[in-house]
Amino acid sequence: MNEPIIQLKHISKQFGTVIALRGISTEIYAGEVTCLLGDNGAGKSTLIKILSGFHRPTEGEYLFQGKPTSFASPREALAAGIATVYQDLAMVPLMSIWRNFFLGSEPEIGRGPFRRYDIAFAKRTVKEELGKMGIFIRDPEQPVGTMSGGERQSLAIARAVYHGAKVLILDEPTAALGVKQAGVVLKYVVQAKARGLGVIFISHNPHHAFVVGDRFVILRRGRIYGAWHKEGLDRDVLVRAMSGSEELDALKHELDEFARRDVQK
Amino acid sequence: MKTRILIFSLLVMAFFGLSVSAVMAQDGLSFCYVIHSDPAGSFWNVATAGAQAAAAQVGADLTAVGSLDPVQQAQFIEDCIAQGVDGLAVSLANPDALRDAVGHAVEAGIPVVTLNSGVDVFRELGAITHVGQTEFVAGQGSGLRFNDMGVSHVLCVIHEEGNIGLEQRCDGVADSFSGTVDRFNVASTGVNDLAGTTSTIQDKLTADSSIDAIITLNPDVGVAARDAIAAAGSSQVLATFDLSPTILQAIVDGQVAFAIDQQQYLQGYLPIIFLNLYNVNANTVGGGLPVLTGPGFVDASNAASVIALSAAGTR
Amino acid sequence: MLAKTDDDRRISVGLFRKVVASPEIGALVGAAVVFVFFSLISPDVFPNIVGLSRVLDPAATLGIMAVAVGLLMIGGEFDLSSGVMTGTTGLLVGLLAVHAGINLWVAIVTSFAFAMLVGFVNGYMVVKTKLPSFIITLATFFVFRGVNVGVTRLVTNQVRVAGIDTIPGFELARTLFDTEFQFAGATFRTSLIWWIVIALIASWILLRTKVGSWIFAVGGNPDAARASGVPVKAVKIGLFMTTAGAAWLVGMMTAFRLRSALSSQGVGQEFVFIIAAVIGGCRLTGGYGSVIGASIGAMIFGITRVGITFAGWDTDWFFSFLGIMLLVAVLLNTYTQKKAAEVHTPKAPPEPEPARSHPETPS
Repeated sequence: MNEPIIQLKHISKQFGTVIALRGISTEIYAGEVTCLLGDNGAGKSTLIKILSGFHRPTEGEYLFQGKPTSFASPREALAAGIATVYQDLAMVPLMSIWRNFFLGSEPEIGRGPFRRYDIAFAKRTVKEELGKMGIFIRDPEQPVGTMSGGERQSLAIARAVYHGAKVLILDEPTAALGVKQAGVVLKYVVQAKARGLGVIFISHNPHHAFVVGDRFVILRRGRIYGAWHKEGLDRDVLVRAMSGSEELDALKHELDEFARRDVQK
Repeated sequence: MKTRILIFSLLVMAFFGLSVSAVMAQDGLSFCYVIHSDPAGSFWNVATAGAQAAAAQVGADLTAVGSLDPVQQAQFIEDCIAQGVDGLAVSLANPDALRDAVGHAVEAGIPVVTLNSGVDVFRELGAITHVGQTEFVAGQGSGLRFNDMGVSHVLCVIHEEGNIGLEQRCDGVADSFSGTVDRFNVASTGVNDLAGTTSTIQDKLTADSSIDAIITLNPDVGVAARDAIAAAGSSQVLATFDLSPTILQAIVDGQVAFAIDQQQYLQGYLPIIFLNLYNVNANTVGGGLPVLTGPGFVDASNAASVIALSAAGTR
Repeated sequence: MLAKTDDDRRISVGLFRKVVASPEIGALVGAAVVFVFFSLISPDVFPNIVGLSRVLDPAATLGIMAVAVGLLMIGGEFDLSSGVMTGTTGLLVGLLAVHAGINLWVAIVTSFAFAMLVGFVNGYMVVKTKLPSFIITLATFFVFRGVNVGVTRLVTNQVRVAGIDTIPGFELARTLFDTEFQFAGATFRTSLIWWIVIALIASWILLRTKVGSWIFAVGGNPDAARASGVPVKAVKIGLFMTTAGAAWLVGMMTAFRLRSALSSQGVGQEFVFIIAAVIGGCRLTGGYGSVIGASIGAMIFGITRVGITFAGWDTDWFFSFLGIMLLVAVLLNTYTQKKAAEVHTPKAPPEPEPARSHPETPS
């Protein structure tokens, strides 16, 4: 087996007296989708924030490409190739698609004081890149605010892929979406994986996770509750593990209901 | 539909505009009256009324404008020159600032009469004459009256920043008065927030009990000072520059000792008459000297007779 | 209106709609309406080159400020100290050159450095404290309003610095900052040239450089800008410094034009700058706008002011007229912004998947 792109060894994180994470050890591999599952408060957000450089772990080792790492800021993590697409989206709604796509890494032409934004290149590239993922935009001048939620998620993923991300962290990308739009986003998740990125897919919806995931890690109360490979895994096992109780069978009926409502969250 | 409403309202506006301009466009002379203040203030509306009365009497068009901002005042003068007016009446509160604009008017052959402020520079700038009072002399006169009243500590309340005339009034008071004169800046509230000015003066009176007289440089501020004295429960002698109906009544009631009257109606009226005479009869008035409209003093002895005229807006 | 092309996911948009979508269009329509209106009222003096030169006189200095303030507003911030700074910078030159006997050019450069410092402090405090810039710069405004009067009276015993025209180098400085020149039979001022050059450069930076994108981004969504690696703090501080720099330039123009500096100069003007920018299509909450629009907003001011004077109206009504103009401009802007959104989001798209911003709910 090849070397993991990210390796976490006994990671713990404490905020004052609150222990958010305890002894997390796991691996992320390139070309795989690792699903991080768990209910609200399970520690998913803290874990992503450690991965993306917002927080540093209180204890434990964070290895990126085999080397111990400690990112000082999200910008450092981004520069290293760890891109995070947040739930609230790092997009400026009033700005055009092409300006958003290249925000923070604008292509330039010209010299000295005449150095300027290569707008023609930017517009052309954004059309091409989105085209590769199967999104056909009407006009790159279109403000991002007029796109649908699914389109915006897809744009954010395309942007991260284009800008050379090695690891893509997706924070609940389907949470605010309808069934159909969630499907569109899941398609791009699979495409990002096909391009060789290590994808971390955070969700509390086991149905979405099951469709795209290769590996599944379930967090409960700041600890790893369990980890599975896709081969031979039954979806029910996942649903059950996530809900995390042996009394599940008794509650199965209600839980199905819960899972459906979860889609809407 | 929306477009139609827009076009319709434009047409209405245009029609309105044309009828206004038809009324304005007479064959007579046209004059500009540019002052360093809002023409509607309680002091300036009397002067502006004088200018309008004079223009009506001689059958001339009058553009009466004003601004506290010297840049805008200069721009108003340039606007008048561009219109090709037949005469310019202008108050020179900031002579340096208006030097160029007034110079342009003179170069363009437009006769200029300065009014209210600018007595020191009107000749140098090429104006025919100046109509106003000399602020320093008016201040001196008040200082002498304070001496007669036997007070020792006068507060000179300045309500506008950057008006050299106000400073000269206080200078005049300080020159002739035998006791102490303190300047007190209330420009942060000024005449725009008279309630604020009242309470600021009241605080000053409470804080410094040695003050036994106040002189204000504007009738509205005079009223504010009267209220401040009442609110502080003290009994300073109050005097003010310039008149207003309220001040006149306060003089009758004994709340204000005297007012320095510069008869500003004349400061609007006379320049227009002079400019008209210059145009129709090549007359110049003043012989190179200013035409003085003050200081006159209004006190309990003559206030009653001035009240009726003040209510009519001419005193 | 919206024509379908062979690819039914793409919609081609008519030229008219595209023009309507630009932020300055409301201001342009407004300027045309006001101009036609006053031309009809004063047909002899207003709609000609002399009338134009009069309009451009007040519009130029206001326009320079509106451009800088417009950029700042697009970046999501306000500067209430911008008006009073036009007075402070002029007073500083006067005090240094006339009363301290310092070389005029040294005084001018010192004044510029001072403006940069004030701009930096404004920006630094805003990004550090994360308080609304409205409050921070209101404090700066009051501080300098007091300093202007206090220091001037302390040094000169008056409320103004006179005699700037007696300093060696005055004529040259005046030529540089604000002098008159004849063109096509009318008198214009060099401030006009400054304005045009500044507006063009600012517009180029905003629309054609990466810094321009950053300005839109920090105003539109600062968190997103930060997450994308935009140096949000540097951009904001830079915008405050730009505004202070523009105030310095206008301060120089005013001081050399008036040959003196008044301690009350510029007080109250900060709102006029903001209004010009808003009439020009700059969004009050940031992230959207145009410096060309802000310049046109300044033109509307000039047209209105001069138009009322030429018409011989009572200037008492100036502010009422201005209020109506402002209201109409804002309504027009809102309307065009809505239209702009429609350009990109057709009401009845041919696709079954409508572009909506709110999530669909599954059945």
